[in-house]
Amino acid sequence: MKKGFFSGIKAGFTGFSKIITAVVNFFLLLLVYIVGVGLTSIFSKISKREILDQKLHNEKTYWSDLNLTDSNIERYYRQF
Amino acid sequence: MYVLGISCFYHDSAVALLKDGRIVAAAEEERFTRKKHDKSFPLNAVNYCLKSQGITIKDIAYIGFYEKPLLKFERIISQHISAFPFSAKTFLSSIPSWLNEKLRIPKIIRKKLKYKGDILFIDHHLSHAASAFLVSPFEKAAILTVDGVGEWTTTAYGMGEINKINLLKEIKFPHSLGLLYSALTAYLGFSVNNSEYKVMGLSPFGDMNKDTNIYYPKIKKLIDIKDDGSYRMDLSYFLYHYKDKMPSKKMCNLLGGPISPRDAEMTQRHKDIAAALQLVFEEVMFKMLNHLYEVTKCENVVLAGGCALNSVCNGKILKNTPFKNIWIQPNATDGGTSIGAAAYVYHSVLGNKRETHMTHGFLGPEFSNEEIKLFLDENKINYTEFKNDKDLVIKTAKLINENNVIGWFQGRMEWGPRALGSRSILANPCNPQAKELLNLKVKHREKFRPFAPVVCADDTLTYFDCDSPVPEPTDFMLMVYPVHKKWHKIIPSVTHVDGSGRLQSIRREQNPKYYDLIKEFGELSGVPILINTSFNIRGEPIVCTPYDAYKCMMGTGIDCLVMGNMLIKREENPKDMWDSESLAKD
Repeated sequence: MKKGFFSGIKAGFTGFSKIITAVVNFFLLLLVYIVGVGLTSIFSKISKREILDQKLHNEKTYWSDLNLTDSNIERYYRQF
Repeated sequence: MYVLGISCFYHDSAVALLKDGRIVAAAEEERFTRKKHDKSFPLNAVNYCLKSQGITIKDIAYIGFYEKPLLKFERIISQHISAFPFSAKTFLSSIPSWLNEKLRIPKIIRKKLKYKGDILFIDHHLSHAASAFLVSPFEKAAILTVDGVGEWTTTAYGMGEINKINLLKEIKFPHSLGLLYSALTAYLGFSVNNSEYKVMGLSPFGDMNKDTNIYYPKIKKLIDIKDDGSYRMDLSYFLYHYKDKMPSKKMCNLLGGPISPRDAEMTQRHKDIAAALQLVFEEVMFKMLNHLYEVTKCENVVLAGGCALNSVCNGKILKNTPFKNIWIQPNATDGGTSIGAAAYVYHSVLGNKRETHMTHGFLGPEFSNEEIKLFLDENKINYTEFKNDKDLVIKTAKLINENNVIGWFQGRMEWGPRALGSRSILANPCNPQAKELLNLKVKHREKFRPFAPVVCADDTLTYFDCDSPVPEPTDFMLMVYPVHKKWHKIIPSVTHVDGSGRLQSIRREQNPKYYDLIKEFGELSGVPILINTSFNIRGEPIVCTPYDAYKCMMGTGIDCLVMGNMLIKREENPKDMWDSESLAKD
């Protein structure tokens, strides 16, 4: 009986903490989106900098240089 | 030396294990978790790979991961910056998974696997290129990789020589041939990253003539194609670069209707759109490949990426380009990059020689006769035991010739999306009702979808109008070829509406029991061809264990299960185990 009571309370707190986490995360991410992403977007639009190259053009090719070839092992330890 | 390759957290998580450069085990996580296209960390697949070799994680010298997560994150953030404020919803839904998983790859790998060795991050398209070239039979080959998107690259080409790869040129996101195909797949009411092959199968029902198909010029408006095959999308027709929806209203207006709902009846309009899409797709692919030949002057080509699974296009490549030889890995999509990452680490980064090439896809778990018998006995399942392999082959061929549908569970599970004779459903291709029976009672899938034939390699040219010599990717069901006209009426169940078949050729050394069964069936019926379809129902991964196989048989119209040396008949066992039809989903 006691065990069931405490595990019920524990489950309740766990559920509550999940809701709080989701709400806090939502507002934090929204803040990051508006301030971080939004301001960067506005500055890039003011400076007319294309973040994604979306335009069609009349040049002969759309291929761009990649030149991805075998490198020193150090390059592959990096995540970028 | 053991090297492990891992791909995960996008779709089709998978693991491959290399021992001294030879692939000794590989599997997708979905087969263990039973969640189709499972993207979670492939712990089960890792455990299987290690167990299959009797080793522990301490024996792994390197782990190769299939992409560079920070470069991909840069692209995701760039998309949001570019589309602000319209990307708010996708930002809020996608970023938590980046913070919790995708930006913590080394931590997750070390924690979940208790791994202390080195982790190397191989660029996504380099992993694709390596998954094709480094396990191919070629010393030197031109390489083309085409998929939805990796980090930034969506299409790349280059050259492979001995154990070195050089990717020369690329097309970057948001321009993507793979995403064009996916966007129209979504428009036609199918699921993205899953049902593109259904659109390919639908296309022959439409008008495949560029001059008369009214949707062909419309689809061409979506993409600007240059003579060298490079392309860009007109993004006003798409939303995928900032929303979780793919086609825009403008595309709906262009194609004359809204996005089709799931499971909508396919009308002639849908079929013509699918045909137009396939025509444009092939046009781009052939132009790219012709350009690639001009650049490399090499007669061998290897393909990788999701678009390399377009078997209709693959079957036409040698006829439409100067290439003489082609090779595609059975798991050309993202799952296969686990092989690529591992092979790239072993051969290209560490500089080890290539000594073997991939000749079959039987790399998954297997179950001994003792294990199967134990499962059957423990669950009180009625079965009979074959005396030997010859008895098994003769009796199974007879059952198929009597129009029974057979679940075939033998040896090591296949690698990749196609069943190749280890976890297959087999049936008589001469039976005109077989296609309908399999579609409705067994697979619960769309009526228009064709079934694939399997034929012994030495009989291939008798029945199919293939390139000669028959390219190796036909072993992996990756090439569609015309069926010779005289056989159309004799094997109606595997002849698609346009007279083609997505054949699998099999050589005896790859799978002797399977090969002998086809030959024995040929002795009885006069046609050494079987229907081979994957052992699953719609929406489920291919079966992995004896339990999965038995469950699948009992819930469908499969008559018998030949599992190891055991024959299990559905009529001799309880029939109310589960209702597969109600569970069949896209």
